[in-house]
Amino acid sequence: MRDAQSALEQLNHCSRCGGCQAVCPLYAETRSEPLVARGKIYLLKSHLEGSLELSPKMKEIMSLCLLCKACVNQCPNKIPVDRLVLEARQTIAAEKGISFVKKNVFQHLLKNNGRLSLAARLGYLYQHSGIQWLVRKSRILEALGRDLARKERLLPEMAAVPFRRQVPRLIASNRPRYRVAYFTGCMTNFISPATGRAVLEVLKHQQLEVLIPEQYCCGIPALSSGDEATTVELARMNIEVFHKAKVDAVITDCASCGSMLRDYGNLVGTPEAREFSSKVMDLSQLLTDLVEFQPGDQEVPATVTYHDPCHLRRGQGVAEAPRKLIKTLPGVVFTEMKEADRCCGAAGSFNLTYYDLSTRVGRRKVENIKNTGADTVVTGCPSCITQIAHHLEMAGSRIKVMHLAELLSRSYAGERR
Amino acid sequence: MLEATVVKEIKSIVGEQNVLTSLEERMCYGYDSTPYAFVPELVVRPGQAEEIQQIMRLANRHLIPVYPRGAGTGLSGGSLPVKNGIVLDLNRMDRILEIDEENLVAVVEPGVITLKLQEAVEQRGLFYPPDPASLKTSTIGGNVAECAGGPRAFKYGVTRDYVMGLEVVTPTGELLKTGGKTVKSVTGYDLTRLYTGSEGTLGIITKIYLRLIPKPQSKKTLMAVYKRLEDAARNVTLIIKEGIIPVTLELMDDQTIHCVERHSHLGLPLDAEAILIIEVDGPEEVVAGQAQIIADLCRANGADSVKVASNSQESEQIWAARRAVSAAVVQIKPTKISEDVSVPRSQIPAMVRRLKEIAARYNLNLVIFGHAGDGNLHPNILCDKNDKEEMERVEKAVGELFQAAVELGGTLSGEHGIGTMKAPYLKLETGEVGYQVMLAIKKAMDPNNILNPGKIFGGEWS
Repeated sequence: MRDAQSALEQLNHCSRCGGCQAVCPLYAETRSEPLVARGKIYLLKSHLEGSLELSPKMKEIMSLCLLCKACVNQCPNKIPVDRLVLEARQTIAAEKGISFVKKNVFQHLLKNNGRLSLAARLGYLYQHSGIQWLVRKSRILEALGRDLARKERLLPEMAAVPFRRQVPRLIASNRPRYRVAYFTGCMTNFISPATGRAVLEVLKHQQLEVLIPEQYCCGIPALSSGDEATTVELARMNIEVFHKAKVDAVITDCASCGSMLRDYGNLVGTPEAREFSSKVMDLSQLLTDLVEFQPGDQEVPATVTYHDPCHLRRGQGVAEAPRKLIKTLPGVVFTEMKEADRCCGAAGSFNLTYYDLSTRVGRRKVENIKNTGADTVVTGCPSCITQIAHHLEMAGSRIKVMHLAELLSRSYAGERR
Repeated sequence: MLEATVVKEIKSIVGEQNVLTSLEERMCYGYDSTPYAFVPELVVRPGQAEEIQQIMRLANRHLIPVYPRGAGTGLSGGSLPVKNGIVLDLNRMDRILEIDEENLVAVVEPGVITLKLQEAVEQRGLFYPPDPASLKTSTIGGNVAECAGGPRAFKYGVTRDYVMGLEVVTPTGELLKTGGKTVKSVTGYDLTRLYTGSEGTLGIITKIYLRLIPKPQSKKTLMAVYKRLEDAARNVTLIIKEGIIPVTLELMDDQTIHCVERHSHLGLPLDAEAILIIEVDGPEEVVAGQAQIIADLCRANGADSVKVASNSQESEQIWAARRAVSAAVVQIKPTKISEDVSVPRSQIPAMVRRLKEIAARYNLNLVIFGHAGDGNLHPNILCDKNDKEEMERVEKAVGELFQAAVELGGTLSGEHGIGTMKAPYLKLETGEVGYQVMLAIKKAMDPNNILNPGKIFGGEWS
């Protein structure tokens, strides 16, 4: 591993109390010791001490982690398990290589917005040209395995036109209080422009000047698979873009992007990177800390519960802000769910790679949601939205899932698109 | 390594997916919460008693050691696969089979997590009191095998006081049933008690009948701070003389207080020699009155300050100090040797003095906390297991600490078990006769010494 000595020092702090078992979503489903932090720590320590190879089994075990940080939070010694697992994945990727598909996606697609748009466009065509209809109707994927057919349904619907092409680069305001840049993230840009529009709708009412510069993937998909080089490159590209924008804050609507951007300072290590990271904040933080959110006066008749994205609550320490904002809306009844901060099982592409396991984690989330009696689940991460929506649908539930911005934007009467 | 034909046979018993063969997976079942680790030859995850019976018969035929395992959070090395062989992971057997509200009995499989059982019975207004510190992760099977205790033991007793009956696979693969749902039972020897705390050496527990009681209506928490440890100890006796049995009487010594304060900044007094966290439970009016009596008593008898929590939030704040202990102490040094000697309650001050002398003599970092109500102390030595010379001093200190406990009329282990770590000291307390009686039982039950070998007994049966 990159800095074996410091990694070993952190690993040595594990007293093997096993407390991580109580909070690990994968352990809860499998009761399998290699999947819990204590097991992974022991294996990594053995590797660094020279008694264990980075075998294919090791690669599999290290990839079986949601990176949800629940164990880090629980650990008496606060061992940064997610970071250590990421480092292990990186070492394994460097030594053994990463899959052909992933390599191409990370190194050729993510850094090139033109190609990324093209890929999204192809996805859109698949979904709208009748091919998807044909695939689903013919059940051809089921012939290849039920799993594949279900995974196909997990594929979110692609936008016809990416969000950033739908909106101007600068949205001015009379006497703006702050100048903020909006990091749209790939999910909002390619899959859910409605979220982006809702973000802008909310921002419009807060007296802000909003910039939407051309930007790149935050890099978290590459980092999760051990391709740190690509992530660093993407980070440098983004830092440069946003540095030029000269803004007071960079806001995100995606918990995963947000936690990644806030880590650029550590990852790249330059003063610009640290300055950039210090300006990044989640939309909900902006609306509570920087400006005082002004809701519209339209009633929002909904019973709402809130799911904490791992990368927002534990990744960025944001838990109260979204709840506070939801409660300001006229007409909303807020109800807390059990285990609101437990991972939904999406974890980037974990839900595609390990569909069955991810489904078990997702079902528990859906049960907790259903038990609240809420008609709407709000959260702050597009990945979580995709996962929760998928499993609510599989459970035959009619509960709606939406981004916080979408709920907030509903309070502005008649102005909503 | 085990022969391929044996592995194949085991796979045919439990299913291929329930047999772990890779080195990486096996390594993850070779440790517990002690600093020691081994690598088993195979990990098997059975789903029912019958599978375990078949495995035990096979193990006897081929003389393969078998080690039952729950959550692996033991502190005595009780589940360590010290002599190769098979780790039998019982986590898949995790069903709560029945909660019989009429007879106040829960019937569970061994892999049920203690907290899950507690939550399930509390939903019905019932209560399963044993509360080992690891209850969020530990399994009931492990709790029974080790006879786990916990802070509430003073008022409510330990695991053994709640085990009414068992289903056990014997070391030779027979299915044994002991006790059951009746409160009274004197039919023959009390095998239920024999198995409770047998540390997985006499059989593999596959079903457990647990006694439940009605859930107490409310509780109240107090914290009392003392300049002198003796005053704290004396207060415990005075409270009991008043006819009050608190649920918990948690003691923290000066080193523990310093440690917690450095780590968590809770505003604990650094000039104190002891803190007592006292909790009473029962009907609301009774509890309020008892808390008042205790507070007055403590103030009049040497307590520097007494805080009575007026709501659950304040009670949480008090408990935060105790809960911070395990995280705080490992900041001193990474390896924690956690002992659990017990002495008669009146000997607590003497025992604490002896412990401090021992730590000073061997120049070791020692913190003492524990359950003052039942005399069960947790002297924790903080050390670095990579420091050979220090670990030698630790070993000598541990030996002396056991000696001190026995001399004061106490016991080597209040709630962790003997396992591998205290096996060399067993005779110190049991004497030769006690040792031989225990060994005779073990030999009669497990003639081939294949079930959890290397535990409890030293010498040729280690």
